[in-house]
Amino acid sequence: MTTSAIIDAKIREHVEQIETTPAIPAVFVPLLKLLNAPPEQVNLEEVVKLVSYDNTIAAQCLRVVSSPLFGLAKTPESIKGAVISLGLRRVQTILLTCCLGQVFPAKVLALDPTVFWRHSLGCAMVCRKFSEKLSGADREKAYMAGLMHDIGFLVNGLAFPNEFASAIKRAVQEQISIEEAERATMGFTHCESGRALAEKWHLGEDIVQVIAHHHALEQSEKAQPLVALVHLSDLLCRVRGLGYGYYERHKVDLVHDPAWAVLLKEYRDLEGVDLVRFTFELDEAVDNIYELVSTIFGSNPARN
Amino acid sequence: MTTVAQPAIAKPAAIRTVEPIDPIYRQIRDLVYKVSGIFQLEEKLYLLVDGCGRRMKQLGVKTPREYWDRLTADSNRDAELRQLLNELTIGETCLFRSPPQLDALRKVILPELVAEKSKLVLKRLRIWSAGCSTGEESYTLAMNMLEESEHLLKGWTVEILATDLNDRSVETAKAGIYGDYALRSTTDYFKRKYFSVIDEKKLQVRPEVKKLITFSRLNLQDNSKMLFMKGMDLIFCCNVLIYFDGPSKSKVVDHFYSNLNSGGYFFLGTSESLLKLNDKFHLVHFPGAIAYWKPSLKSGKL
Repeated sequence: MTTSAIIDAKIREHVEQIETTPAIPAVFVPLLKLLNAPPEQVNLEEVVKLVSYDNTIAAQCLRVVSSPLFGLAKTPESIKGAVISLGLRRVQTILLTCCLGQVFPAKVLALDPTVFWRHSLGCAMVCRKFSEKLSGADREKAYMAGLMHDIGFLVNGLAFPNEFASAIKRAVQEQISIEEAERATMGFTHCESGRALAEKWHLGEDIVQVIAHHHALEQSEKAQPLVALVHLSDLLCRVRGLGYGYYERHKVDLVHDPAWAVLLKEYRDLEGVDLVRFTFELDEAVDNIYELVSTIFGSNPARN
Repeated sequence: MTTVAQPAIAKPAAIRTVEPIDPIYRQIRDLVYKVSGIFQLEEKLYLLVDGCGRRMKQLGVKTPREYWDRLTADSNRDAELRQLLNELTIGETCLFRSPPQLDALRKVILPELVAEKSKLVLKRLRIWSAGCSTGEESYTLAMNMLEESEHLLKGWTVEILATDLNDRSVETAKAGIYGDYALRSTTDYFKRKYFSVIDEKKLQVRPEVKKLITFSRLNLQDNSKMLFMKGMDLIFCCNVLIYFDGPSKSKVVDHFYSNLNSGGYFFLGTSESLLKLNDKFHLVHFPGAIAYWKPSLKSGKL
């Protein structure tokens, strides 16, 4: 076996054990199945049933959609109301957000879950906002990709707690990216471990590509525009107060990043995006994202 | 930043007893942005509401909707928009106005410029504060450069050119005397190190800071004079271009581009955008700040 194959086997062995983690909500597996199903096969009742299944999660979902980030004129009072105003797919990704909030056990992780979620949720929001400006882009897939892109940190935190803790420590000390520190300390990164988990959870090939290649776009075999979108949104978040709690990115030129050209090739209207205003609007959303994350975590008794 | 944890479903309206903002103000915000490039953040929308309120009072206009008509349909709309911009930027000037800009400058840009220019015989940095008004920005830059004079900029000469259209502003700037309001963001460290006490209400910038700066009058629309402003490494032009119409703005920005050395940076005000005026500049993001960069020759991306 080659070194990378050994590492891969090691990661996969650990990923197997994650499924038995008690923190995974019962609704999670059926939700993943639903997210992968063709949209025309998903009906309103099914989504409402799924959201209502777990009281805690249902209450969280309602709280989440009352955030100003969702721009609803009136906060829905019932799950059904929320599904109708936001649409089936949007509700599914919100449910996914709340479920993932439960999966991440604060105690065992070197990475502060609040910081992790600020970044993941921030990136999800940026991906969605970006895709709103690109005609033909799948907004919910963009959101999901942003939300899940760093899920490998979950694996690393759970399966390799000590090595991961040293990687984080090193990253903060040397003000380098966690990815760089992981490679130096552990020999692999959250991209590889995230991929293993994503494949195990059957997250869909596009999302797997994003998780595996958001730091190395050129290696992605398919779904390049989506990987590029997440890569750019990730960069923007990291330079704009939604990174990992320290600045390892001090300067970013999005338009001249190779990912920009990839995205532009797919969506010509990217050219018309006013990136400065987009940034101002993101700055504006940062507080709301912080608040939303404390909403997701604040009501979870298992998290103190 | 307000990140105070709030009860989960607390409705903002219950905490702040403010009336909901008339949606017309968001329309005004978008209009102001489209014309001037100034973006009023949602959390600062009250500033726009206040500014419009003052204008409405002066004009005797009763409703925001009526004021919107003055800004869009009236024959004096351009003049009114200018008045509103004055209201929006009034009192904004102070020393150390944008810490993220200064951070970007000291943590990223200076090391980059020093590395790039260290092979040159003449170790000199040229900074231009274009539209310096009463000098707050120029002195802030000068003090930050002096802070680096024993470290990063050891052995370097720093020249700051500060220009403004208004003679009186230039004179006030030269005097370098500031009160509490202008000094509200200046730390005691800087006050002690770089200012002398004039009286209990006023401080004056010390000569060693002034020495770095040359103040003069300049009209940014004077094409022949603009051609002479060569060899800049940094240009700061905050809340000045907002008053220019599209073609004039575009011309000034083109001048700035030629005035800059390759690898140099151009900064606008913190909530100001260049819109889409010059595609030769690269838009660069820093934590909390945005700048426009003139590609260096070796980057091959000209």
